[in-house]
Amino acid sequence: MKNKLNSIGNYFKDFGTALAKGDIWVKLSLVWMGAGYAARKQIINAVIMTLLEAVFVIMCVFYAAPNLAKFGTLGTVQFEQVFDPLTLTSTVNDYDNSFLILLNSIIALFLIVVFILVYISNIKTVYNLQKRKEAGKHINTFREDVRAMFNERFHITLLTLPCIGIILMNVLPILVLIAIAFTNYDQQHMPPSALFTWVGWTNFKSLFTNSTTITFGYSFGKVLIWTLEWAVLATFTTYIGGILLAKFINNKATKWPKFWRTLFIIAIAVPQFVTLLLVRNFFADSGIVNTICANIGLTDFLKKIGLVGSNLTYIPFLTNPTWAKVMIVLINIWVGVPYQMLIATGVLMNIPEDQIESARIDGANSFQIFVKITMPYMLFVTGPSLITDFVKNINNFNVIYLLTQDVYVTSDQMLANSNAKEIDLLVTWLFRLTNEYYNYKMASVIGICVFIICAAFTLITFTRTIKGDKEDQFR
Amino acid sequence: MKKQVRFVLRHVILLLLAVFWLVPIVWLVATSFSGYKGINTAHFFPETWSFDNYLALFLRPDSVVQYKAWFMNTLVIAIFTCIISTIFVLMVAYTMSCLRFKGRKGLMSFGIILNMFPGVLSMIAVYFILKSLGLTNSHVGMIIVYSAASGLGYLIAKGFMDTISISLREAAWLEGASEAKIFWKIILPLSKPIIVYTVISSFLVPWGDFVFAKLILNSGISADWTVAIGLYNMLNKSLINKYFSIFCAGGVVVSIPISILFVIMQKFYVEGITGGSVKG
Repeated sequence: MKNKLNSIGNYFKDFGTALAKGDIWVKLSLVWMGAGYAARKQIINAVIMTLLEAVFVIMCVFYAAPNLAKFGTLGTVQFEQVFDPLTLTSTVNDYDNSFLILLNSIIALFLIVVFILVYISNIKTVYNLQKRKEAGKHINTFREDVRAMFNERFHITLLTLPCIGIILMNVLPILVLIAIAFTNYDQQHMPPSALFTWVGWTNFKSLFTNSTTITFGYSFGKVLIWTLEWAVLATFTTYIGGILLAKFINNKATKWPKFWRTLFIIAIAVPQFVTLLLVRNFFADSGIVNTICANIGLTDFLKKIGLVGSNLTYIPFLTNPTWAKVMIVLINIWVGVPYQMLIATGVLMNIPEDQIESARIDGANSFQIFVKITMPYMLFVTGPSLITDFVKNINNFNVIYLLTQDVYVTSDQMLANSNAKEIDLLVTWLFRLTNEYYNYKMASVIGICVFIICAAFTLITFTRTIKGDKEDQFR
Repeated sequence: MKKQVRFVLRHVILLLLAVFWLVPIVWLVATSFSGYKGINTAHFFPETWSFDNYLALFLRPDSVVQYKAWFMNTLVIAIFTCIISTIFVLMVAYTMSCLRFKGRKGLMSFGIILNMFPGVLSMIAVYFILKSLGLTNSHVGMIIVYSAASGLGYLIAKGFMDTISISLREAAWLEGASEAKIFWKIILPLSKPIIVYTVISSFLVPWGDFVFAKLILNSGISADWTVAIGLYNMLNKSLINKYFSIFCAGGVVVSIPISILFVIMQKFYVEGITGGSVKG
């Protein structure tokens, strides 16, 4: 932390020295960004910087300024439509679209920040040029600058395009999401016909409120607990299942291991949305499995022992909260175990055979070998990916959504009030809030919560792998 | 004698497990040849067999089924997504693995955290950004959605490149090769397994996604859709009784090329992962 503060301090200190010690051309660069280059005969650089500056000024005047002026209120002019009976056309007034103002303001702010960074580094570069000139060192021609982009500055060349993509489709949406969490953007405030505005921390408060009108606190608690339960269950069942299956197939006593492996891979090679939608109909209340269960008397048996309500003529595989949760975990085992089996197979083949051999000679049975040698080795190699799987399961949208959408109806009035269901994960709840109820403000708040949870888990694992400098250790 | 019993038992267990895993797939294939169009809830196997569902898919497009169009749309989107994603992933992976520059670790951690942010959350904003660019209901928009942020998925490829010996690059430096040349001539040829993995896995994305496709291709013109939304739409409550077996046929057809690619990809995936873990 202290290091970071120091480096930020140095960043501005360098800027200060450049300004203080720079000659007239460096100072002139404050106003005309190309000045420093022009003075050192780097004409092309000078032209590029001048153009950049011009574009930025035009952007500020025609794009940033009008939007940022309304950023504080997110617009004041309500949408109005006047129908003219004579010409049979309707005219629309020059209304404010709150969402576009928000989006454009964020883009504008982002561009301004980027420009300031470029601006500061420009001054520093120009000052460096001055120092090189004074020391009588060689000053790069444009051609040499370009060549440097493929050598010592190759990382900039490689990262530019991917970074633009990430900013456009990842960073910008996240910033918009965070902003929306502080507004009242919902079905009653939908642009263009209505305006929305800033409301401060209200949405965050209502996420933790539980009253007769707002039940978000109750739902959030329930959904969060199930999300974490689900993530733990889904991760461990498939992980252990995958290792056991891999061990079982790789055992020397098993004939045709490749054949068996292929059978399991076929099951997961079919796209997930096809299999999951299919399985949903497979286990429907009036579906084929229920017919078979009724025929063999399983339904009646389950009724007798009280697992199925006495008023039902079918097993509510995906319509009763407890049944649905169990089924979802089981179906996820069906989906996930073959994947884990594949990975485990690869890792198991690398277990040092001599260790197992010597343990066997010492009289360990296969269970002891599994617990004492195989599992620790597996955990060592696949530990980080276990946490990644856990985070992915927190956001496992497909399994829950495809299995229960249009099928599962909640009977809990408190949950229904906030549009949640017992089997919802935070992501599926959020998806329904946006797609069916247009409650963007609450969806954004939940989105931020999910992000914080996931980021926390990720940071725990990856700070160790990245900061440990392991990457150079094994080369 | 005891050994033989165990041998038989072991294979019976495996057989039972395999049956359990394959039942839905068998049902999918069987139903796709059903003569009855709705869901057959009384019998596992169809009562009448017919090839008609496949003919309906390809020869009789109607307002609901436009399978050929969907397949071509998805194929085009998948090819472009695959090209852009692969280039992005390799560029980022190489930078993070082989180049050393200020702020590298910060960028890496930042990228990993961003990558944890599920796309579903930022959906609304993505939609409006594309709308303001005029790219909703267009396949270009879909390609951007699938490939723009793909650089974040660099971790596996980086892990693989980390295992490539540094002495190779040092030798190239001594001979005066530029970083760009090292990337092209040394690292890329050695990264073949992970390139194949990246190519196939990014190719598969548009075939499996229906969340973004549904959101962005929302005009209701079914000829514009991808396979995933088209098939999803057939299971609408009002359509399911007429189209369920056609849905199954569509599922089988889309599964064939995808399974083949998937099997190839898995081999390289395991190779890439374990290749890294043996040395690391």
